[in-house]
Amino acid sequence: MRHEWIKFPFHILFHPFDGFWDLKYENRGRVSVAMVILLLLVVATSLMKQFSGFLVNYYDPRYLNTLDDLMFTVLPFILFCVANWSVTTLMEGEGKFREIVIATAYALLPMILINIPLTFISRFLTNEETAFYWMLNSFGALWFLWLLFVGNMTIHQYTVTKAVVTLLLTVAAMGIIVFLGALALVICMDMYWFVYDIYRELIFR
Amino acid sequence: MRTKKALLLAAIMSLLVLTAAPAAQAATPYEAYTYNYYSDAVALPAPFLPERIVDGASLGVGDFKLPNDLYIAKDGTVYILDGGNNRIIVTDANWNLVRIIEGFDNNGTRDGFGNPNGIFVSDNGKIYIADTDRRRVVVLDGDGSLVKIVENPQSEVLPDNFEFVPLKVTADRAERIFVVARGVYEGIMQFNDTGEFLGYVGTIKVQPSLADRIWRWLATEAQESQMVLFIPTEFSSVDIDHKGFVYATNIDTGSSETIKRLNPLGQDVIKRFGHYPNVGDIRYRTVGSDSGPSKLTDIKYIGDGMYTVLDSNRARIFTYNDEGELLYAFGGRGTQLGMFNTPVAVEWQNGKLVVLDRGKNNIVIFKPTRFGRLVHEATSLQYNGKTSEAVALWKEVLRLNANYDIAYLGIGKSMLMAKENKEAMEYFKLGMSRKYYSLAFKRYRREVMQEHFGAFMTTAVVMIAAFAAFRIARRVRPGRSAGHEA
Repeated sequence: MRHEWIKFPFHILFHPFDGFWDLKYENRGRVSVAMVILLLLVVATSLMKQFSGFLVNYYDPRYLNTLDDLMFTVLPFILFCVANWSVTTLMEGEGKFREIVIATAYALLPMILINIPLTFISRFLTNEETAFYWMLNSFGALWFLWLLFVGNMTIHQYTVTKAVVTLLLTVAAMGIIVFLGALALVICMDMYWFVYDIYRELIFR
Repeated sequence: MRTKKALLLAAIMSLLVLTAAPAAQAATPYEAYTYNYYSDAVALPAPFLPERIVDGASLGVGDFKLPNDLYIAKDGTVYILDGGNNRIIVTDANWNLVRIIEGFDNNGTRDGFGNPNGIFVSDNGKIYIADTDRRRVVVLDGDGSLVKIVENPQSEVLPDNFEFVPLKVTADRAERIFVVARGVYEGIMQFNDTGEFLGYVGTIKVQPSLADRIWRWLATEAQESQMVLFIPTEFSSVDIDHKGFVYATNIDTGSSETIKRLNPLGQDVIKRFGHYPNVGDIRYRTVGSDSGPSKLTDIKYIGDGMYTVLDSNRARIFTYNDEGELLYAFGGRGTQLGMFNTPVAVEWQNGKLVVLDRGKNNIVIFKPTRFGRLVHEATSLQYNGKTSEAVALWKEVLRLNANYDIAYLGIGKSMLMAKENKEAMEYFKLGMSRKYYSLAFKRYRREVMQEHFGAFMTTAVVMIAAFAAFRIARRVRPGRSAGHEA
């Protein structure tokens, strides 16, 4: 089949159970496509912050930064995948890390598909019509959550309850990872300053 | 070599210019600012400059002693309430002494004041004095003869042992008297023209904080009885506008409604349409010196919707327009001319701000700069509906300070009136007003749609036709592509 790699993510949008099954057992997902989707999400986020209409754009233009957008999209993504892998490995999930990455990225697609046109449309809305903007915006987010949930359930071969519990645990694990990371960072800083202070003491002696 | 020298010279010159500029700006010891959409303080050119100081010596009446209040009538006549000396000093608009009122004839006996705290003069010249230590409000005629004394209010709502300790006073045209009294938490006391107590207006709502509630919830009954009651704070000052609406401030830190405008029914009708509440400072340190929210201790209705409040915490002056947007703030504590020690009263005298300082025992008169005058004039014009006349002034304001959001809004509103919707959109965007931007945009969109209706319809028809053609072509294609693959 031609253009399979481009058609498959769209297939997942509307047939998530089918799609994620194929992703896992027919090996139809691609990491490269997942990365492109992630990159597109960064682009969509940046575009939205920069170009959405004045009435819905509450971002302070003084603090817009595309590199920040990149960081705050990619880092949470990696964090989620790692946390999800850690949790599901312990909870008899059948998904491999590669599958988790692909499924999570493919689930992000509705956010891109909705937010880019929405950015354009938002420039032509009055105050009363912005309700539609927010509605569609949250619709995209809900769609993403739905796909994430189905994807998780399918690639790990979980029941509904177990999938929900795993997702909640994943969020908790993300928090723990951030906490441990901060802790390690602080300790490293302290060690650095300790060595630096000793060095300073020595050269001023 | 020559270019090098020239460059060096240019560098030295630019240094000179750079160092010279702040020296010229340092004419005021304080910094003026307002808050922008993002609640950041934005520097302003000084709206007012200290012009002169008036004290007891310069008036030739001996030093003031703990002066408590100041009132300046419409015609500019000044009434200084010299509380510690128990006298009222009256001067004309040019600060020449007219007379001193040290007492009055109370039915044949000579009577005086006891540490009076508040003074008000009505448009018909009657002087109202909150005679604090003598527990009464004295009303005098313009010439100093007694009109009436309001004391010992009687009412069912007052407790039996009620003690009337008036602090601030104001009156409307119907000679109803509004009194802020110490220890009265129910609101402002209202008396009719014969001195009868009518009731309270403007009760302050009490909202215990979440922490307070949790403490109360955790406390035993015995502990709870030991706790302070949640009582509202007292009002700190009153003034009245030309319509008879009472302006009042209270020191309710944590509330966003410290300034009130009470209609004759006693309801708070002040507009709070700014991006942030009109409470004085909104950005401040929470601990350390100069910390905490503003304590508004005096209010003056300037006219045309504008009012000025005095923050005794950081000794600053804030002026708001009728929408509740901050026009400017300035002032501070210090010893230089224009800085305050303990400012207690702010007044308005024909375009000048006048502040009474209890700590320094003097009065500072501030004259408006070009910027201050323009802002006041433009705000007045806009308040009176003369938006198109205000535009030129607002443009001038923007020339002096391009970060003045209110000026953009003013111009935008005028453009909107003149149906120049596209320009209005631009100005509302600069002024960060989504409400008005939406209004202008709606009109502009309708305009464009009407103008280009033909183009829109053509595009739509062409697109539908193209889509139909595409569908037909697709239906024809399978045969062809099948042929290819075969």
